[in-house]
Amino acid sequence: MADIQPIIRFENVTKTFPHNPNVLENVSVSIMPGEFVSLVGPSGAGKSTLLKLISAEEIPTEGEVYFNERPVGKINRKHLPYYRRNIGTVFQDFKLLPQRTAFENVAYALEVDGVSTEEINAQVPEILDIVGLGDKMHKFPKQLSGGEQQRVALARALIHRPKVIIADEPTGNLDPRSTDEIIHLLLEINSFGTTILLATHNKGIVDNIGRRVIALDDGHIVSDEMHGKYVVPAPKTALKL
Amino acid sequence: MSNKTLKLWRTFKEGWQNFRRNGWLSFATVSILTLSLFIVSLSVLLGVTTSLILDTMREKVSVNVSFNPDVTEERILEIQKELSKYGKEIASVQYVSRERALEDFLAKNNPVIAQAIEEIGENPLLASLNIKAVNPEDYPLIVEQLQKSTFQNDISRINYEENKRIFERLERINEATRKSGIAIGFSFIFIAILITFNTIRITIYSHRQEFEIMRLVGASNLYVRTPFIFEGILYGLSAAIVTIFLLFGIAYYISPLTQGAIPQGNFMNLYLQNFGFILLGLILLGMGLGVVSSAIAIRRYLKV
Repeated sequence: MADIQPIIRFENVTKTFPHNPNVLENVSVSIMPGEFVSLVGPSGAGKSTLLKLISAEEIPTEGEVYFNERPVGKINRKHLPYYRRNIGTVFQDFKLLPQRTAFENVAYALEVDGVSTEEINAQVPEILDIVGLGDKMHKFPKQLSGGEQQRVALARALIHRPKVIIADEPTGNLDPRSTDEIIHLLLEINSFGTTILLATHNKGIVDNIGRRVIALDDGHIVSDEMHGKYVVPAPKTALKL
Repeated sequence: MSNKTLKLWRTFKEGWQNFRRNGWLSFATVSILTLSLFIVSLSVLLGVTTSLILDTMREKVSVNVSFNPDVTEERILEIQKELSKYGKEIASVQYVSRERALEDFLAKNNPVIAQAIEEIGENPLLASLNIKAVNPEDYPLIVEQLQKSTFQNDISRINYEENKRIFERLERINEATRKSGIAIGFSFIFIAILITFNTIRITIYSHRQEFEIMRLVGASNLYVRTPFIFEGILYGLSAAIVTIFLLFGIAYYISPLTQGAIPQGNFMNLYLQNFGFILLGLILLGMGLGVVSSAIAIRRYLKV
């Protein structure tokens, strides 16, 4: 057990924005390879910021984030794109390129890496098949439903066979059925060993998954349970009055 | 294909796809770029034509020295020889005999006058030397020297004063067209850069959400940027090709006006003789405008 290193480790991380001080305050947490972690908490608790610190979209004001025990903040800007290929990201708003078909959206992630066209033509349909879109490869995003668009995004996140998948409110814009499909897919991906970080508001999802739950509130980790349930933080409104 | 050339080829394809899929925006950009190229190249071409016309007219300016009727042909030829020594100032000295002068005169004027001269029965014209200066500015000096020369008494008349007025006017026109041509040309190039830059900026602005996505998917900055450079090249190339056709149309219409006024015969000949050069210039200028505008716009709006 001792020789397994955390894949992601936050060490006393504080993140401050000019107009929004202490979005995260002195956060320390470790995530082990292969874990499925749900990140819960009200809007503005710091979930998205925490995820952005992992993908190096933001850098900590204080403290350090480690990926495989290497400090993320020390990565040269030029090398960021290469670092990010270790991490697949899925967003609430899908972030698909509107001018490209499902196939092209997924292929883009390989093209930027200089992968040969033959390999792209072999890998992309395969991964789209896994997310169940093999027959809709050549549709543009606007021709797909929300759930289908999110599955394209997931396929794109998976194409580099990343060690970690970061999903920031991936089901926020989806109907219950599509939500179940996406979560089911994430669990399946996790079962092959990929670490998953899922930020969500959806109590039902978290309770059903029954895995590790980290609850954030006001920039602090308020609970961290290995087989957690969705935690509703005590309302603070009364105190503020 | 190596990794780098594969990526370069892909960024080119990206650029081409942007160009094709954003049909209207591309159309607008190419139109504006075409307009700029057209105005700039037209002002350059018209400037060149004007200065060619002026050069041709200047060629025709000369000093005509007429000799008294009693001066012999030998004497005049001697003077011609003397004048030819001043090779630095004088380009040519041409002897026009009385007979030759009459022939020319009859050829130029209408039959009534010709008949009148025949009736006189005697050649009223004088032998002359036609002097052309190397430098048109030297005419006053040459005239002055002639008036002080050893053969000043042989001279009947120096026909320069009327030439002088025409000449001075030509000089002024030439100066004015050159100055305003440069000014207009530069202001249009400036406007062209401004407009093209702005249009490409709008193109990039319309893509801005995509840049973030591309970066998140692992595209390097260079990979995100290069397609826009190619797009700029494509704008420039298309605009250059449209412009070369527009210029052909203009050449077709103004060519008759320039018939015989320039050494090339007319404007169309001038255009066709320099077609390769003009096309190359337009392509380079167009691509330059497109690329420079893209590069500036990317730098300002693509902080990745």
